[in-house]
Amino acid sequence: MIRIAENNVVARFSKGDFQELASLLFRRYPDNEWATFARFGWRHTREGLVVSLASIDPPLSEDMNEFVGHVQIREPYTLRIALSAEQHPLAVGVIHSHPEGCPPAPSSIDDEMDTYYAPYFNDFAPGRPYVSLILSKVKRAMTLSGRIHWQGFWHGVEKFVVETTPVTTWRRAGGNFEPLPIRERTARLNSAFGIEAASRLRRATVAVIGAGGTGSAAIEVLARAGVGRLILVDPDHVEESNLERMHGSQPNDAKQAVSKVEVARDHVLAIDPSCHVEAIVGRLPQSEVVDAVIRADVALGCTDRQHSRLALSDISVRYLVPTIDSAVALEGTDGAVSAQVIQIVRFLSADPCALCRGMTVPSTISQELMSEEERELRRREAEQAEIRGDNPNQYWHQEAQLNTVGFLTTMAGSMAAGYAIGWLTGRFDPPFSRLQMNLLSKDLDVTDSAEVPRADCTCRRTRGWSDQAVTDALLTAPLHWPSARRLDG
Amino acid sequence: MSWERIERELARLQEGGQLAELFTQGRAVVLYRQVPTGGLPFGLPPTEDVVVPVPPGYPASMIDLAGLPVGSPFLGRARGSQNNQGVLLVAGRQWQLASYHPHNGGGGPPWDQMRHGFHTYLDHLIAWLDKLN
Repeated sequence: MIRIAENNVVARFSKGDFQELASLLFRRYPDNEWATFARFGWRHTREGLVVSLASIDPPLSEDMNEFVGHVQIREPYTLRIALSAEQHPLAVGVIHSHPEGCPPAPSSIDDEMDTYYAPYFNDFAPGRPYVSLILSKVKRAMTLSGRIHWQGFWHGVEKFVVETTPVTTWRRAGGNFEPLPIRERTARLNSAFGIEAASRLRRATVAVIGAGGTGSAAIEVLARAGVGRLILVDPDHVEESNLERMHGSQPNDAKQAVSKVEVARDHVLAIDPSCHVEAIVGRLPQSEVVDAVIRADVALGCTDRQHSRLALSDISVRYLVPTIDSAVALEGTDGAVSAQVIQIVRFLSADPCALCRGMTVPSTISQELMSEEERELRRREAEQAEIRGDNPNQYWHQEAQLNTVGFLTTMAGSMAAGYAIGWLTGRFDPPFSRLQMNLLSKDLDVTDSAEVPRADCTCRRTRGWSDQAVTDALLTAPLHWPSARRLDG
Repeated sequence: MSWERIERELARLQEGGQLAELFTQGRAVVLYRQVPTGGLPFGLPPTEDVVVPVPPGYPASMIDLAGLPVGSPFLGRARGSQNNQGVLLVAGRQWQLASYHPHNGGGGPPWDQMRHGFHTYLDHLIAWLDKLN
């Protein structure tokens, strides 16, 4: 029997690939098994591996024995996969089904297969994980188990995450099928979505990037809904001008320059002391922040920074983290308000990325990412250029002050949190890819942009590639940023 | 900062015969060796070395600026080189950055990280050292 050193792996799938996988593996259901090899991206985080399905290498007609009920993979299939692994950087794995109602607990035959394959593939693709997953339908729920051989040890999968689709993770002790004890505080939510949904929320992890006006509203909604674990990320401390928007903030927080994530963490724990909160003073794509965010079920983007939006979009593609980005804008002059706009954008791995959608302006991102020293230098150069009669924009673009108010940020954050709850519970999806609405227009002037990916964009070829597509990262963390810091407690 | 993308771009340059190296100590820069110039009619060298800073957050940030060795005869003749943007020490030499912004209104296309990189910036450097005052 294979001994699991630790259950610390998170395994992620895109929605489309998971559907394709289930259809392939259940082709002989409900009684007979089937299997496929697959390729996985992976990242070693401080809490363990995170693997993501990059592609499936389905069997050809003679690759497996059709005449037996269990999985019997023929040698040419194995050899073909091993040889192809020499040509790509991804981890190799096998995924097979168990008959309906039969838990995905590895059998002694599965143990034999994995004990053979782990060193076999390591000979062809040294240093990469070997992934072995089992899928079955138990009590009508899609249920998965898994183990990864890496660096000489077997690691169990502690959580499976499929984009926007709840699945059950099977562990040696059993599956997490049973609802958790009912809590009166979420009674209305339970009656609306069912007790099962409330349990899913309590087992869920949501990362919120940005803990200001929009983020703090999202955090509050998620905490009150009973989400079990929150990862809160923000580099800034509270300023007096934040008090109009930021839920949970007090004048003293501004006076003492308390970090926004600390205020948010304390606010969450006051709402629900059982919530596990990871508070990180930092930004995407700093390594420690990426490590935390890619273990979440869903991520919410709640910042007004374009680089943050770009990084989150990158994470949704390469690490398969379903993401909802929210933004607001209040337009007007001289006290006359002409537009109050909320934007909600869905980033699933099959969606166009932020670059494809033209959501970023290179000069703005460049300025956001400069060091304070360089910004100052550029501003001075722009002033001098203006005096000379030159174009000052080549040095520094003067950005308009982004106006925003608490009711708008609260609305946007709450909407984003609501759609996250929809995904986590499996009860509803955002009915759009990118929504913009203007609160001051008739019928809110809602628009849903049907954007398509650019053919030459890396987001079309790095889906699920994780760190193995680091060369194609849309953004890297500037060296002048202060290191990310986790708050204790 | 991950350097893999830049290394890949420099490898592409090398395939085309252009030498370029990445220096990561201090402010990260790419050093292009012997970039062709339009200097011969002026009695200037036919090539010159050029450094280009790696922008923070690359490739999300656009590549900008270009630097010439302190004392280079092209300083003062290449566009924007009268406007000193700082001095760097790279590979044991001092370099003066010029106010050259091809992707930011300086004559080139807007920055597109899917198409542009240190491999395409070479074209701007050649154009820069070709049109001399």
